[in-house]
Amino acid sequence: MKHAVIVGYARTPFTRAVSPAPGQTKTGKLAHVTPMNMMVPVINELVDRTGIDPKDVETVLTGCVNQEAEQGLNIARLAILHRDCKLTNSTGGVTVDRFCGSSMHVIADAKNAIQAGEAEAIICTGVQSMSRVPMTGWNPLIDKEVYESHPAGFLNMGVTAENLARKYSVSRKEQEEFALKSHQKAAAAQDAGNYKEEIVPVGGVSEDDGVRRDASAEQMAGLKPAFEKSGSVTAATSSPITDGASGVLVTSEDYAKTNNLPVMARIKSFAGSGCAPEIMGIGPVEASKKALERAGITMKDVDIVELNEAFAAQSISVLKEMEAQGMKIEEHKLNIDGGAIALGHPLGASGARLVGKAASLLQRTGKRYALATMCIGGGQGVAMVLENPNPKP
Amino acid sequence: MANREIKKVAVLGAGAMGSGIAAQLANAGVEVYMLDKNPDAPKAAIARMLKANPAADAMNAGFMSPANAKRIKTGNTDDNLEEAVKDADWIVEVIVEDLGLKQKLFAEVEKYRKPGSIVSSNTSTIPLHDMAQGRSDDFKKNFIITHFFNPPRFMRLLEIVSGPATDKDVTETMKEFCDVRLGKNVIVSNDTPGFIANRIGTYLLFRAITEATNRKMNIEDVDAVMGRPMGFPKDGIFGLLDLVGIGIVPHVTKSLHGTLPPDDGFQKIFEEPKLVEGLLANGHWGRNAPNGGFYRMKRNADGSKQKLVLDLPKAAALLQSGEWDKTVGAKAPGALEALYRPAGKAGIKKSVEAGKKGLRAVFDAGDAGADYAWSVMRDTLIYAASVMPGPTDSIADIDAGMRDGYNWKYGPFEMLDKIGLDYFIRRAQMDGIEIPPVLKMAEGRKFYSRVNGRPAALKFDFAANKAEYAVIPRPAGIISLADIKRGSKPVLHGQSASLWDIGDGVVCFEFHSKMNSLDPSVMKVLNDSIKLVSANPDKYKAMVVYNEDSNFSVGANLAFAQLALKFNKMSVIENIIYTGQRVYQALRYAPFPVVGAPNGMALGGGCEILLHCDAIQAGAETYMGLVESGVGIIPGWGGCVRYLERAQDTQGKPKGLKNGTFPPVQTAFGAILAPMMAMSTSGQDAKNKLWLRPTDGVTMNKDRLLGDAKAKALSLAPGYKPPEPPTFRLPGASGKASLQMAVDDFYTKGDATWHDVVVGDALSEVLSGGGTNPGIELTEAEMLQMEREAFMSLVHTKQTQARIGHMLKTGKPLREEPLKESKTPAQIRETRDHITLPVKPYDAKPLSGRDARRLKLMAGATWGFYKVLGFMK
Repeated sequence: MKHAVIVGYARTPFTRAVSPAPGQTKTGKLAHVTPMNMMVPVINELVDRTGIDPKDVETVLTGCVNQEAEQGLNIARLAILHRDCKLTNSTGGVTVDRFCGSSMHVIADAKNAIQAGEAEAIICTGVQSMSRVPMTGWNPLIDKEVYESHPAGFLNMGVTAENLARKYSVSRKEQEEFALKSHQKAAAAQDAGNYKEEIVPVGGVSEDDGVRRDASAEQMAGLKPAFEKSGSVTAATSSPITDGASGVLVTSEDYAKTNNLPVMARIKSFAGSGCAPEIMGIGPVEASKKALERAGITMKDVDIVELNEAFAAQSISVLKEMEAQGMKIEEHKLNIDGGAIALGHPLGASGARLVGKAASLLQRTGKRYALATMCIGGGQGVAMVLENPNPKP
Repeated sequence: MANREIKKVAVLGAGAMGSGIAAQLANAGVEVYMLDKNPDAPKAAIARMLKANPAADAMNAGFMSPANAKRIKTGNTDDNLEEAVKDADWIVEVIVEDLGLKQKLFAEVEKYRKPGSIVSSNTSTIPLHDMAQGRSDDFKKNFIITHFFNPPRFMRLLEIVSGPATDKDVTETMKEFCDVRLGKNVIVSNDTPGFIANRIGTYLLFRAITEATNRKMNIEDVDAVMGRPMGFPKDGIFGLLDLVGIGIVPHVTKSLHGTLPPDDGFQKIFEEPKLVEGLLANGHWGRNAPNGGFYRMKRNADGSKQKLVLDLPKAAALLQSGEWDKTVGAKAPGALEALYRPAGKAGIKKSVEAGKKGLRAVFDAGDAGADYAWSVMRDTLIYAASVMPGPTDSIADIDAGMRDGYNWKYGPFEMLDKIGLDYFIRRAQMDGIEIPPVLKMAEGRKFYSRVNGRPAALKFDFAANKAEYAVIPRPAGIISLADIKRGSKPVLHGQSASLWDIGDGVVCFEFHSKMNSLDPSVMKVLNDSIKLVSANPDKYKAMVVYNEDSNFSVGANLAFAQLALKFNKMSVIENIIYTGQRVYQALRYAPFPVVGAPNGMALGGGCEILLHCDAIQAGAETYMGLVESGVGIIPGWGGCVRYLERAQDTQGKPKGLKNGTFPPVQTAFGAILAPMMAMSTSGQDAKNKLWLRPTDGVTMNKDRLLGDAKAKALSLAPGYKPPEPPTFRLPGASGKASLQMAVDDFYTKGDATWHDVVVGDALSEVLSGGGTNPGIELTEAEMLQMEREAFMSLVHTKQTQARIGHMLKTGKPLREEPLKESKTPAQIRETRDHITLPVKPYDAKPLSGRDARRLKLMAGATWGFYKVLGFMK
């Protein structure tokens, strides 16, 4: 079977969003940039960086949650029509919503199309302006029957994190230590210039602004619970709402070789799974298990893990359950350059960041296997295994 | 008439008074430049005021709407004085009470001010002529004192003092501006120490403290008798001083002692305020001080709080023995601490109880409180009479000053009318007290009377030693319902409401039940009023809904409802809701314009009547809200539907498939289910929160509210056509599910109780339109029926009845404890009762036939109900 490979990864800076609530006067740093104007520079950067002939790009696949307002009307296709976009009319566009897993899902879609011989090159992007479109959208109606039969399907994500904290006995202190580490790793990565190569400046912003260098355990301990009065999850141990776009260029391995594109990683396998919505955060366990099986490897073979840090309580629960199921993730392999608690979680854009980051880490470290995985509201998980075609011995 | 315009004002000084004045100017729509010698002070003051809510923190809640803060530019006196002053129409100085500093500042101001700009000082103690020394003629012509009271937004008194050189036009301009734009009751005082209010107010406070000390009284007793029984603020003497800061006592008393002539009555009672100075020396300067003041809160080891009070008899003993000076006065640590004891209830009962029967009953009560109150009030009232004609020769102004500057219920001369002047003089003479000329001139008469049907007061001719009644002058544009009521008979009258003819074809509908609560009797008079005005278009053109009580209306009378519940008379409740809806609808679609004119609280049913008016002219301090959910019900007199209509008008009415159906529903749901967030904190804020429409008006001076409302009603009258009934495109079941989800989330977090889930369900059923879909246009009648059904479904629940009972008993909303066995929202829904009501025919005309007879019956039974209720208690 043909291999699908990742040949390029780029993203905008991730900056904290302020939801457009009534009476809110603060704005996020990228609130003035439309989702379109975050996404088009990412597409162009992928074209420029790889030198791919735009005409060869079959489709732009975009992951985006709440596809309304400027995120609506199939933004993937509209991006191609943008005057600055380097793609041409011959490329198609598809926008997909799998909540937080959206842009990881589209990479799997691209892999499948390429393996089926239905495309040679696909640009996969994810975009989310949480400053411009609130998390529930502008006319947030839900289905009565589903709500009555499965109210947990609509639970506040923070409450699902509390449920996990209870189920896996994750203390507030553990969560805060985890969050603090995420910030420390991200700060170190910023200092080492590890983000430089992936970030495309937009709207005058060239750096992530979620990393709190001054974060301290004492300060975190003083915060009020954010979701339940007597709960343990706080703003500091949750991923912040964020604006941003990300993207990877996926091609067939043959196409990459023929056109001299820099192969970062092979897409070895993908898996999606479902779980109880009230503990949606545990989704990565089952999805990872399936993805590893499909790749024919075990967790021991994996050196790089990118786990989306929706919440510290959720991430720790995943780690505990993984370990219980014989898939222990060693600390030095996890989110080496920091995770979503520090960098932020722009729903639709997170999946492509995780996969792109995992691919670039394989290149940086010379290791062989990487796993990128994330939980999804409503009770799902997705996971993807990448392989470095030229690992260092 | 004044002919100067005030558009820009420079406020020099950003302390409590300066920033409060700046905020009130911004509230009035004026451009303000606020300076302070401390460059950070103005911005900090604005931030502090923006944080405060009037209900919780009136002293700091300067802004009526947060947007007003943007009208204030800030700077520091050293760098920005020229910029601030050069195009100001009025420059008001609010710095420390130091003549030298003020003179220096005015010299600077003179360099930069434009000719003809008005300059004023907010001093409370320094004479005008001293401050004007060394200034130019133009400065002196434009220089006056404008003395505000703290907090400037809420205290209605403003004293204006002009000098012999002051231009008459300046005084007139300021009188009009401060009255109409700043909402103040302006009184003019001569340039005498303490002006009017502080001179008499300080006398009372100081006399009360020394007398209490000499008699070795307990502070709780003093405050109990010198609070409500006297018509003074409920904090009494010592409690009030704690609130305003006791540092004011030595400051003002020493200033008055230094400036009043030696034969003034105040000099006779003056002594070094050692008690107060001892407290101040130890940092006990008032309620907000870490050490408290006369009262203080002590936090126990277990976290509980205990109220302590200074043991005045012990302190008095130390003062008498001279020990005080050596210990507390010398700031000996611990000496003052030892003088506090746990605060208790007042030991004096008879005189406090007698307060309900009037002042004289207190003085005659025959206990220690009565003797104390008499001796303090005797001297204070005599002093008030003896200061005339110094600061003013108008008793009406003195009374207004004490009412509006010190929150007395009655001014000194109104008190004397209540006590009976002859009784007062006789008893004072028995005490061997000399009676001042003003009282002698008035002997045998009351101070207030009427001349040609208009309110009049005694005017004193000191040279001729006689007094005659003269009409009390009222500024132009003020219509007083009290005046109209004294001079005429109501057009219609019921137990709880009346209709008055206020001239020019306008009628005024007035509630006058206890706290203006609404009952069937109000509805009946309203129904009859609508019929009467509709039937006489030649005579009547428009209606104003207004009253002069401190609160417009606290909402429906719950006691009435509770009694019906007690006897399980659901049909009575249903009739109240049904007739109320219909009468309010009749008001909405009456063939004449209706203007609602609220001030103070307009809650529940009182808010609903306003939502049915064509326009609202609100008083500056209007607190509107639909608070029904607190007692487990939803608005049932059309409030849900009318607020949804307002939300749709503001947020975009769903047309076809344009505009989401849900956002207005969400807005209305939040406002009604979480009323404390949505309640307006001022008339201006009512506009922010959709209670008022953008075209509605706010009147800063509540004395002008009726006049403004009447003018608005008349402007709407020519060619008036009732509005078209709105239609509603709503999301239906998905909307309800989305609202339920929001409430369930709050329930899970612990911010909503299990009965909130039930109340939220009923409300979401109405606002989402029941079984509708976005393709259907629901009529208003259909919406009102859903509102009634949802209302009744809640009344049938035990917990709603429990909430009503609790509110009546304690005056506070009942919040349910978490269930012992915790339930999911779905489980709560399963266990609640569902009821369906028969559909009733419905229209928007006044009630007639059987419905009208039924309303009449209910209205007639109102008093009967109340009597039974009283009996049951």
